[in-house]
Amino acid sequence: MYRSIILSILLCSNAIAHEMTPTYPTWESSYMEGIKKTTMAMFNRRPDVEYYEIGVFDKEWKPVPFVTSYKIINLKYLSHVKFDVYMSAKHSAKAEYICSTSKLRGDNVMIASKICSRFK
Amino acid sequence: MKYLLITLSLMLSATTAYAANIDITGTVQSRCIVNTDTAGMYGNPNAYTLTTVPASAGQLPIVRVDVSLANAYNAKISYPTSFSSSPSLGDTVAWTGAATVVQTSTSDMSGYQAASSLSGAMRTYALTVAGTTWFSVASVATYGGGQQKPFPGGSYKAVVLAECIAQ
Repeated sequence: MYRSIILSILLCSNAIAHEMTPTYPTWESSYMEGIKKTTMAMFNRRPDVEYYEIGVFDKEWKPVPFVTSYKIINLKYLSHVKFDVYMSAKHSAKAEYICSTSKLRGDNVMIASKICSRFK
Repeated sequence: MKYLLITLSLMLSATTAYAANIDITGTVQSRCIVNTDTAGMYGNPNAYTLTTVPASAGQLPIVRVDVSLANAYNAKISYPTSFSSSPSLGDTVAWTGAATVVQTSTSDMSGYQAASSLSGAMRTYALTVAGTTWFSVASVATYGGGQQKPFPGGSYKAVVLAECIAQ
């Protein structure tokens, strides 16, 4: 009962949120030889954010080169997007995290959100 | 008449119901959602301090993190260590702050704050239980390198970073 009340409140609340899935993406072969691909999905429920930056990092949080349609994605409020990330097979072996970070415009103390999925 | 019978038989055959077992399959995937519940605001209790502490007319930013599976994510909450925009500052700003768990959806999460670790301005929480956690972030900026110089007039902005990192 208690949990269902909390769930109802969460579902009904006007939350301002950033979401990215899957948590554990996997690489698959692309149509180009030697190039791997993975597909990610994002949902923007933050009215104060329209852009998210995509980054791929190794275990030490150093950037790993990758290709996607846009490294900064324009994602309007309440919009979903699916995007493909391409990487050479050599670099894909090093990639550990794929992250999306909100790009902020606002006043006073702002909250930047960042979600990182992990290749396992 | 013959054509009518053929047409009717075709219509009936097209609407014949077939019984079959249809499986419903589903997968519960881990997922993290970072919610910005309350935007923060700096209060200015004296000329040389900006603070989000409510007692000083500030407002603590509140971040809510929802996870659908246990042990899939770490939450990392960082207080600001610089202004993202401000008037020109000729002197140093001293930054302090703290991230604190202020509410949880289940009592199983009550140990999150004690089990968290601090590295510089960032506090890391292992989200070991599925559910929702609310974090508040206190931030205090003091101007003048300990000499209590007044902040120049203008607009000041700073950024709290809330991260959800897959384990």
